[in-house]
Amino acid sequence: MNFFEKLQALDRRWIYLLVALAITIPLVVVFDSKTYTTTPTENIYQLIDSYAGRDDRAIMIDFLHDASTMSELFPMEVAILRHAFQRKVKVFTICFLETAAPLVDYAINTVKEEFPDIQSGVDYINIGYKPGALYLPIVLGMGDDISEAVKTDAEGRQLANLPMMEKIKNYNEMNLVIETSGSGFGASWFVYARPRFGVNVAAGITAVMAADAYPYIQTGQLVGILAGLKGAAEYEKLVDLFAIHDKPFSREIARTTHVSITDDTVPYKFKAARIGMNAQTVVHILIILFIVIGNIGYFIERRRNKELN
Amino acid sequence: MKRQIPLALVIILCFLFVGHTFIPHKISDNFYQWWLSWVRTMTSFAVVLGVMSLFTVHWGKISRRMPNWQYSIVTLGALVFTSASGFIWGTQQGTPYMWLFKNVQMPMSSTMFSLLAFYIASAAYKAFRARSPEATVLLVSAIIVMIAQVPIGMAISKWIPEISNWILNVPNLAAKRGVALGVGLGGTAVSLKIMLGIERTYLGSGD
Repeated sequence: MNFFEKLQALDRRWIYLLVALAITIPLVVVFDSKTYTTTPTENIYQLIDSYAGRDDRAIMIDFLHDASTMSELFPMEVAILRHAFQRKVKVFTICFLETAAPLVDYAINTVKEEFPDIQSGVDYINIGYKPGALYLPIVLGMGDDISEAVKTDAEGRQLANLPMMEKIKNYNEMNLVIETSGSGFGASWFVYARPRFGVNVAAGITAVMAADAYPYIQTGQLVGILAGLKGAAEYEKLVDLFAIHDKPFSREIARTTHVSITDDTVPYKFKAARIGMNAQTVVHILIILFIVIGNIGYFIERRRNKELN
Repeated sequence: MKRQIPLALVIILCFLFVGHTFIPHKISDNFYQWWLSWVRTMTSFAVVLGVMSLFTVHWGKISRRMPNWQYSIVTLGALVFTSASGFIWGTQQGTPYMWLFKNVQMPMSSTMFSLLAFYIASAAYKAFRARSPEATVLLVSAIIVMIAQVPIGMAISKWIPEISNWILNVPNLAAKRGVALGVGLGGTAVSLKIMLGIERTYLGSGD
């Protein structure tokens, strides 16, 4: 058995071992890498930032996933909440999956630790879990009156009585819905709420779903997407670059400025996606190498078989 | 009767809901709200039914010492313990329920999902071959999109993300849109068949 035949017959456990090492080492030994922002991510950032400091504008994050896709989606939820809390953008959070309810609490509390002045009911409202059967009535009902469509928040308080609702009534004020999902990409929002009420819809999705979302970006049904860990990393960078310093967004600066991730001033939880991207970079290179080596072995073997025949 | 009543219910309700969508009258809206209250109630019963079914199946496995009966103990124990912790102490930050979520559910779910990376790597090595021109196009596209997804792509050449964007925005988008249109038209056709009582396979064999 020659070298290439051995390679073709390589035990898959060696491949698993290499993948495990390629993932874990970059997570443990953090190195600096550049994050390049893209238009779909910048659009979401820019729209949220345009609501900064306004009592009559809000965004909503719909958590449509469970813990399995957390590694990709949780960093983007944290980054969006951090942006909103830093720039005083009002936030609603909601989920229609019972397994997502703890995630909403976890995301809010993760960010709130850095923003002790942020108050529930004043700066954000966690609507919490609502049964999936009520998805459509809530999506449509919010177009008329949010506090009628969902009467109570996760703590059982009447929405209508909360200070944040004073200047917020429906989609005219809460004009951006971001669905973070491991299975859809805001379809219910842009099919029902966007054409009827004009709400802007964005999606935070896993990388494998990104290809499905492109037709909806082109048509304008989605104002932007955060695609997988890369999208989360881009958003983290934008928050570090602009929001944290209360600077206005600039596409040119975003694309030309490097933000270091080896700097200890930024807590790990706010650069988790960028550190994760290091692991993703190494694994992608490894998989490409696997494909190339596998194909070299395949062609050598095929040529040899032809010669023998 | 076993088939006619469910069939009649489906056909009548299909037409009522289509009517509600296109006729935003108070009567139709009141009917919809009334129906929603039924949905909420039925959903609660579905949970009870699900829990009862889970208990029956796993208790049966344990009492009869069927193969892998030990796992059934874990399933039932987890169900009882997680539910009880939520009912007794609530589900907010700092409660045992949240501790279970962070330290049990989160790592286990993430582990299951992360297995995908290992299978993809193994499949890429063992099966992703340029056996035909079509497979070669797929392989080259995959490599370009993969390398463009990570910072090193841009570092190698600014054209790699450009080409990747073109692949996603032109051929990928065209194919996805074609599939979406096909699925949409197919869904409409099946819905019409159900509404008109032509499609009845959802009723089962009727035994």
